[in-house]
Amino acid sequence: MTGERDKVFVDEVRAIWCRELERSDITPEQDFFALGGHSVIMARIQRAYIDEMGYEIPIDEMYRNPTIASISAYLESLP
Amino acid sequence: MMIRGKRVALPSAPVVHKRFEAYAVAAPDAVAVVCGGEHVTYGELDARANRFANLLVSRGHGRGALVGVCLSYSIDLLVTILGALKAGAAYVPLDPTYPPARLRLLLGQVPDLALIVASPATAELVGSATVEIVDLETLRNDLQGRPATAPDVTVTGDDLCYAIFTSGSTGVPKLTAVRHEGWFNLLNWLQDEFGLHRGSNNLVVSAFGFDLSQRSLMTPLFCGATQHLIASRNFDPAMAYRTLERHDIRTVHCASSTLYVLADWEKASGGSALTELDHLLFGGEPLHVERLRNLVGREAGGCVLLHQYGVAECTDVASSFDLAGYRPGDHEIAPVGRPVHNTDIHVLDERMRGVGAGEYGEIGISGAGVGAGYLNGTGPESARFTTVEVDGVPRRLYRTGDRGHVNEDGELVVAGRMDAQVKVRGMRIDPADVERALSRLAGVRQAAVVSRSTDSGDTELIAFVVPEGDDLAGDELGARLLETLPRNMVPAEFVSIPRIPLSPHGKSDRFALMDVLHDRRKGQGVRG
Repeated sequence: MTGERDKVFVDEVRAIWCRELERSDITPEQDFFALGGHSVIMARIQRAYIDEMGYEIPIDEMYRNPTIASISAYLESLP
Repeated sequence: MMIRGKRVALPSAPVVHKRFEAYAVAAPDAVAVVCGGEHVTYGELDARANRFANLLVSRGHGRGALVGVCLSYSIDLLVTILGALKAGAAYVPLDPTYPPARLRLLLGQVPDLALIVASPATAELVGSATVEIVDLETLRNDLQGRPATAPDVTVTGDDLCYAIFTSGSTGVPKLTAVRHEGWFNLLNWLQDEFGLHRGSNNLVVSAFGFDLSQRSLMTPLFCGATQHLIASRNFDPAMAYRTLERHDIRTVHCASSTLYVLADWEKASGGSALTELDHLLFGGEPLHVERLRNLVGREAGGCVLLHQYGVAECTDVASSFDLAGYRPGDHEIAPVGRPVHNTDIHVLDERMRGVGAGEYGEIGISGAGVGAGYLNGTGPESARFTTVEVDGVPRRLYRTGDRGHVNEDGELVVAGRMDAQVKVRGMRIDPADVERALSRLAGVRQAAVVSRSTDSGDTELIAFVVPEGDDLAGDELGARLLETLPRNMVPAEFVSIPRIPLSPHGKSDRFALMDVLHDRRKGQGVRG
């Protein structure tokens, strides 16, 4: 069951990242900053997590988890 | 062409921390700093800073010394800064979020650093063999035994208060020094001109390495107000906005790009904390007024929006424009207004003569804010500090390298750079600095970095790379650069090319490079 829930997070996060980074080809292991990401895009993604997924994620956690895979795992770990 | 700033008398010793000390005596129980769940009063902060100052002096790091500060926003950060100033030393801000390799490069540029105050985790990363690295927590016992009264040190307006890194023109960051008189004059102007007072509580939202952050840190303490800090390592819009909503914060200083983020946040969340501030002070890059629609053009009596201009070499702010009632015409650049007190702004031709009314030229700054120059060597940049005659008296003048003109209302308008430097999210960057870091990477034969405006009006860097062998993956190059450069310096896009096209002058040809990019875009339609 955990695996399926995790996959839902990965897909939602990937959709947000692709839209905000204007790319269609992001893999779960690619680094946000190496994809041309920066603080302003990070702020838009933080807002999208609130508006679209209902989670407020501290920016420091987003910097600590700079891939789709790791931030999805972080989201999954939340109560 | 010259715009003359208002002349205002300063005290005989215009020393920044003396103002703070006066509040510590007059209102010791007033809250000076709030950070996370903790706070400290003016009296306690003064005593803690005095103890640290006494420790510095006893170790021989008094007047004229340089103290490195590599701390996250915290009460200890302000204890360290005020302690260094009270000892007669100047502090050097080092952003703890920078990659360790970048911090070591910067440290290599500081002559005779007395010591560095850093958290234990950061100290390990920076790991300098030549400079002592301390943290206030381990010094706790030593500090407790020191006097809580200020050390007997004479500080004058000509002594240095901080020295900050800024982009050079040769790929080597320059360490530029600011004097107490200049900083005092700036803070005094803010207080006088805009009526800042003991209720003008502030929230810091900018990164510690910026010169504007030094002003944002000190302004409330100069006015007797409360400073609010967020202990987050990186700018956190959600936390910043919530702090604005929950505390009685009246002022915010930031880069224009940070203000767009906060304004977007306000719009998305339906709040009003930002528009209900007393003062927003911003600048550092070309302003996109349309991105501040919910702030600009409101009824009188609302938040005062101050669009500011300045350079680190001349104490951060040189001029300011009140955007009240400002309605931009098509393609019009928002002015940066008139000079700070005791400051004159010049528009000069290549022979250092003033240009005619409305004509474009290089912007020069003279007056109280002109700093003490660069502490790391006498590179070609040092020649930018020169002299000019004002009222028949020779004054020091700094040629900014910025291009501008004075409009028909007598306001300064900035229109880009005379050289290749660019601003990315408020950070002044020399593409040569990025080229140097890129060409040091294995597999890279040669690199050229240019800037470009995006559709939304932001500036981004594009790197053109000549690989040693096989093509290099852009995101891998980005990841490797992140180990040595701050994030704002890492290009948004990497393009592999067989050779760098050169202009007739032997420099990389920006237009030919952008043509390459355009052709690739048509072929692929993807980034990276």
